[in-house]
Amino acid sequence: RGQSTAAESRCTLPRKMLTLFVVLALAGGALADNCCSAEDRREVVRAWEDIWSAQFTGRRVAVAQAVFANLFASHPEAKALFKRVNVDDSDSAEFKAHCIRVVNGLDLAINLLAQPQNLDAQLDHLSKQHAARDGIKADHFHFIAKSFAEVMPQVTSCFNSDAWTRCFDRIADGIAAGLP
Amino acid sequence: MKTLLILLGLVAMATADCGGLARLKVKQQWNRAFGEGTEREAFGTALWNVVFHKAPKARELFKRVKGDNVYSPEFQAHSQRVLGGLDMSISLLDDSATLNAQLAHLNMQHKERAIDAAYFAGFKEALLEVVPATLGRCFDQDAWSACFDVISGGINA
Repeated sequence: RGQSTAAESRCTLPRKMLTLFVVLALAGGALADNCCSAEDRREVVRAWEDIWSAQFTGRRVAVAQAVFANLFASHPEAKALFKRVNVDDSDSAEFKAHCIRVVNGLDLAINLLAQPQNLDAQLDHLSKQHAARDGIKADHFHFIAKSFAEVMPQVTSCFNSDAWTRCFDRIADGIAAGLP
Repeated sequence: MKTLLILLGLVAMATADCGGLARLKVKQQWNRAFGEGTEREAFGTALWNVVFHKAPKARELFKRVKGDNVYSPEFQAHSQRVLGGLDMSISLLDDSATLNAQLAHLNMQHKERAIDAAYFAGFKEALLEVVPATLGRCFDQDAWSACFDVISGGINA
């Protein structure tokens, strides 16, 4: 399987350190680990499969439009970044196609969560794609992460926010890594 | 009357186009073949192995993403991007306006790379072998052929 990734090493701490962690956790009550674990991945894939719809785009567009509406409500300045895809008319074919690409990018990453090396290669690609666009900052991915976290429970049943956030951060951090 | 119907049926089969019902059928078959998680990785690997078996020179187009090793993380990620593009296009087959906007986007991405039309034909051949291999049976080759042409026609226009 080759070398381990940064994310894997975040998740698999050396035994000595783990013992220390257990002690600290017991002492501190709940010391939350922020890594996207195998259990988290399963939760995320399950929630995602529920709304994904592999045959039609209606739900994908509805979810992405809601996410962007949420993002622009709290960060109106971000809207200017999407001029090229006709953001002013969120029902236009150009913006809907853009929505589908965004959701597709996320779908791709979610389905690669179980293969960290392939996921890293993909996140690196997305990072470069976003770095090529003027004005996109690492922070924007934290903003859109918050929007996804607010939209997802409105559309998925039994949504596990903690698992989602840990895995979404793993993806967003990978993309944001190459951004200012 | 019965003979006429059968005759008409044969004509319809021979000239299958990517009509509304054919699009629904391709969507269903794609949904089953594409799968999720690691199934998609296996599907993509099989597809590209067939593509490169048929057209070994096509590997040169994919130097940037390590086309010489389809198992490398770089190529696996690339493979999923292509399948993602195909998935978007197939799932948009029932929404022409958005489909055209998406195909225009893919067209732009491919134009920069000056890809010979023969490679699109090779990709289609490979797809038409790997999808039914995944499904086992119940594969409508005519519907796939016609609907793939709609998509690749847009990308390669």
